[in-house]
Amino acid sequence: MPWKLLLRNVLGHPVRSLLTVGAVTVAVFLICMLQAVTSGLSRTLDASAANRLLVQSAVSLFVDLPLAYQQKLAAVPGVEATCKWQWFGGRYEQDKGGFFAQFGIDPQTFAPSYPEMTVVAGDYAQFAATRTSCIVGEQLADKYGWKLGQTVPLGGTIFTRTDGRPWEFTIAAIYHSNSPAFDEQSLFFHFDYLHESLEQGGARGPQGVGVYMLRLAPGTDPLDVQRSVDAMFENGPQRVQTTTEAEFNRQFISMLGDVPALLRLIGGAVLFAIFFAVLNTMLLAGRERTRDLGILKALGFANGVAAWLLIGESLLLCLTGAALALGLAGALEQPFAAATATFIPGFGFDRNTLLLGGGIALVTGVVSGLLPGLRAARLGVTEALQELG
Amino acid sequence: MPVAITLRSVTKSYSRGGETLRVLDELDLDMDAATFYALMGPSGSGKTTLLNLVGGLDQADSGVVQVGDIDLAELDGGELAQWRAEHVGFVFQGFNLLPVLSARENVELPLLLAPLSKRQRREQAERALELVGLQDRMDHKPRELSGGQEQRVAIARAIATDPQVILADEPTGDLDRNTADAVLELLQRLNRELHKTILMVTHDPQAAGYADKVIHLDKGKLGRIDDNRASSAAGGR
Ligand SMILES: Nc1ncnc2c1ncn2[C@@H]1O[C@H](COP(=O)(O)OP(=O)(O)OP(=O)(O)O)[C@@H](O)[C@H]1O
Ligand SMILES: [Mg+2]
Repeated sequence: MPWKLLLRNVLGHPVRSLLTVGAVTVAVFLICMLQAVTSGLSRTLDASAANRLLVQSAVSLFVDLPLAYQQKLAAVPGVEATCKWQWFGGRYEQDKGGFFAQFGIDPQTFAPSYPEMTVVAGDYAQFAATRTSCIVGEQLADKYGWKLGQTVPLGGTIFTRTDGRPWEFTIAAIYHSNSPAFDEQSLFFHFDYLHESLEQGGARGPQGVGVYMLRLAPGTDPLDVQRSVDAMFENGPQRVQTTTEAEFNRQFISMLGDVPALLRLIGGAVLFAIFFAVLNTMLLAGRERTRDLGILKALGFANGVAAWLLIGESLLLCLTGAALALGLAGALEQPFAAATATFIPGFGFDRNTLLLGGGIALVTGVVSGLLPGLRAARLGVTEALQELG
Repeated sequence: MPVAITLRSVTKSYSRGGETLRVLDELDLDMDAATFYALMGPSGSGKTTLLNLVGGLDQADSGVVQVGDIDLAELDGGELAQWRAEHVGFVFQGFNLLPVLSARENVELPLLLAPLSKRQRREQAERALELVGLQDRMDHKPRELSGGQEQRVAIARAIATDPQVILADEPTGDLDRNTADAVLELLQRLNRELHKTILMVTHDPQAAGYADKVIHLDKGKLGRIDDNRASSAAGGR
């Protein structure tokens, strides 16, 4: 097998080879990214806790539930604790273009219900005891260089203060998460502080609660609780929909449309595009080398060698592209994961994603090389030699 | 061992657009071992076709092509390729070299098929290039060589595996007189000193003068065969 010839053939057309390798690199990188997003989403769903239910309005996530529901929910058999979640939607005064999530919660039940969260700095008890304090994710604190005791000014969008000034929350604790379903880029504060401000006229905004979390006692069948809760409010004043955390996350993701299907579609289109790019290069290369192949065959090289010269060239181009793409993916994984943590906490390249990228390059290489390769194998020596060099 | 070539009622036809063209028609030809033959004839008379049959690049429709003690009709495609690698050196009509490889690498190509170490291959290729006088051009790419040098590299490649038969299709067709003479002298030396059986197609009577015998081919039929040695002995050339 004349390996040197294979290599020289590739290097003999530096621009064309570079463009083809570049196309494969971009495509494989894109496909890996898309796959990482899709699998990140499904990892988030997989990591959802089975012992937590979420109660929202049956109409929509954007319709609030009455405050009075909390006591009734807590009384449902099998419910161990309840916790309010209220979307705040504030804008950080120091980075108006940036975005992170903030929620009003019940500090007494929040931490015990979310064991995936551990406090790495400050003191949760202090957070629970101080009305205007907050607890923030480690990544978020790193991103903005926040320190304990520092005040975070948030401009209200849904909830505005009547004095026109931004809300201020003092950082009492920083948390770390060991679950892809629970991100490290959120800020949590006292729901009661928000509620009192609204009641006392210090702020304007909706009075209800976005979502109630129900923590189930061990051994409780979530289905039973789901049914009794939905039945309890069947006749109003607000009908509710109770879902498992996994189902809730799935709905949240699909608010953006059927993301996985869309990503697969884009991935498929990209795949199609590189396949034709490489095939085109290889068909061109095969035609150009007709006389070379004739000479090789005349010298006594087997038909298989002629075929492998082209298949090998195609593989070399594709695998080089894939190697570059995987290198690029490795280099960009951290920054990208940090940038998307709020929406896709599970983003990351796992072994399957990398295998998929490499596999696609391998298959593209073989298939694109096969067509010109088979032609090369079948080529008659005398016909090939008649071709002008 | 020098090799003789025998053709017995060899017929070769090509069909093009429903029409069958009989390129070689019941051809009989005996070529002696260790002899330098020139093959002449008008364009389209079947010279390249004849060369391809003798070199095992193509097979006759009927008849016998025997090179040494091998009847080529008895070899299948793979065996034929192997036989070519071991027994025949080719210099083709037109471009001969792979443009991406250096002179040395081009000459090494057929040696890849022989059971040789990397070092042996290199040495053998260099020896062949020295024989054609190109020891100082070994690392040049074909486009960095003159036409005559390219043909000499092609000849070096043809002799690198030390085959007994060398087939050359118009090796001097694109060369000027002096360069052509150098190439022809080289072929003559390969015949005289190394006893290669050589069959060379040419349109040039002066080139044919370097051969021992000149075969004339016309419309697929054998014409007369001139013996240059006899005429030079008689004419005092
Ligand atoms: N593969 C082929 N298919 C069809 N016809 C062919 C093929 N090869 C050669 N021929 C025809 O056979 C005839 C003889 O061709 P050949 O190449 O042997 O001629 P030649 O004597 O070498 O001519 P030239 O001096 O021009 O090289 C020509 O008419 C040519 O067109
Ligand atoms: Mg010809």
